[in-house]
Amino acid sequence: MSLDYVKFSGGFEKFMPKEYRDMVEHGPFGKKISVSQMGSFKEILEEHPMCAGCAMTLFIRLAIIAFPNPEDTITVGTAGCGRLAISQAAIPFVYGNYGDQNGVASGLSRGLRLRFGDKPKDVVVMAGDGGTADIGFQQVLHSWFRKERFTTIMLDNEVYGNTGGQESGMTNRGAVLKMAPLGKKFEKMDMLQMAKVAGCAYVATVVPNNPRRVESVIKKAVLIAREVGSTYIQAYTSCNIEYAIPTDKVMEDAKTVENDRYQFTEYVSEEAKQYLTERYGYKDYLPKAAAPAAAIPTKA
Amino acid sequence: MYLVANINVEICASKSCKLCTQYCPEANTIQYSETMGTDKGYKYGTAYIAVDRCKGCALCVWVCDTMAKNNAIKMIMIDQLPMAAVTDNIRYEEKTTVAVLSNPMIVIGN
Ligand SMILES: Cc1ncc(C[n+]2csc(CCOP(=O)(O)OP(=O)(O)O)c2C)c(N)n1
Ligand code: SF4
Ligand code: SF4
Ligand code: SF4
Repeated sequence: MSLDYVKFSGGFEKFMPKEYRDMVEHGPFGKKISVSQMGSFKEILEEHPMCAGCAMTLFIRLAIIAFPNPEDTITVGTAGCGRLAISQAAIPFVYGNYGDQNGVASGLSRGLRLRFGDKPKDVVVMAGDGGTADIGFQQVLHSWFRKERFTTIMLDNEVYGNTGGQESGMTNRGAVLKMAPLGKKFEKMDMLQMAKVAGCAYVATVVPNNPRRVESVIKKAVLIAREVGSTYIQAYTSCNIEYAIPTDKVMEDAKTVENDRYQFTEYVSEEAKQYLTERYGYKDYLPKAAAPAAAIPTKA
Repeated sequence: MYLVANINVEICASKSCKLCTQYCPEANTIQYSETMGTDKGYKYGTAYIAVDRCKGCALCVWVCDTMAKNNAIKMIMIDQLPMAAVTDNIRYEEKTTVAVLSNPMIVIGN
């Protein structure tokens, strides 16, 4: 894992496909890129079989662009739609059994620290709501309680999309789905609160209709996980197939859901604020400048 | 045949907000070119579609109509597009891309 792994071995360049050559020569490896430059550099995500117009696809695309050091990142995924795209990026991707992603990532991030010491190697888990809140729940919670230093991203489409529409713990109460015809009987799980109780250093919700915000949230979560502790992002990434959203209305739906149950929230622990400020020059958490003396009302 | 997105250079180049490039779910599909606009005498560059990668969702049409309020993108049957950009004919430069347009039916059909 380093810049070298994408380079061509001597003499092989002319045999590589155009997409690969473009990626080596004009991709984001070793550079600082941002979503505002999208459309003018070669992205490392390639073609994949996720559905047309899927918001999860857009989110994954933005997330990969936001990784602070893509050449030093490993993604971990599990069964579910997201892996179909995450595995098609020029970033090592680890895929285990359904639900074991946070267990795998715990071992991986510890192993990388033993092997590479202080040199940051980022581990990012991206898994569906079923993979995170149902099947992988135990391992997710344990990795958080143990303060394992990697980022967990829930791709929350509020359904088991890949298997045709079963309800998950993250489905809203009352939602009727193909494989939940009577409607869901329980509330949506509050994974954000659980992440805070379990001691995550950073917890945020985000919706892909704000690409700059997705970028900022991912960067912070990955940087904090390098040293401070576990970080968790919960992203609303609608399933247009199971919720019958016309593809040209996917962003309209994202806006409606953002206003309804997915307002932007961000929790940053005090330790994480200090770390971002001192290590990475973030200005947001500096103490507010004291009000000028003249502005303080004094008794006559 | 199937629909793909098509950007009207004249309408896009008057605004050139790059919003659609950030919202297309597919990577490397809506590209941006300075020259495609400025070569034609417009002040700005323009976004354009690598039609071989477009999945026809029309999400970008909503973004351009509703968010950018510029109505530059329309869905067109791929065999009705006279000339279009395809991945093989796109070149990356420092801060822009350059596309040599071709008949997509011939290039993709190969
Ligand atoms: C142990 C195990 N049980 C069941 C499955 C079948 N399976 C594959 S994907 C999936 C559901 C995925 O739902 P979610 O995690 O919410 O992701 P989404 O597809 O919605 O993105 C299931 C049940 C499996 N692969 N492994
Ligand atoms: S089934 Fe749903 S979540 Fe899965 S790729 Fe299709 S639209 Fe996206
Ligand atoms: S959203 Fe419309 S105006 Fe803006 S760059 Fe795209 S096509 Fe051009
Ligand atoms: S129609 Fe969909 S896939 Fe095609 S360019 Fe527009 S947003 Fe991208």
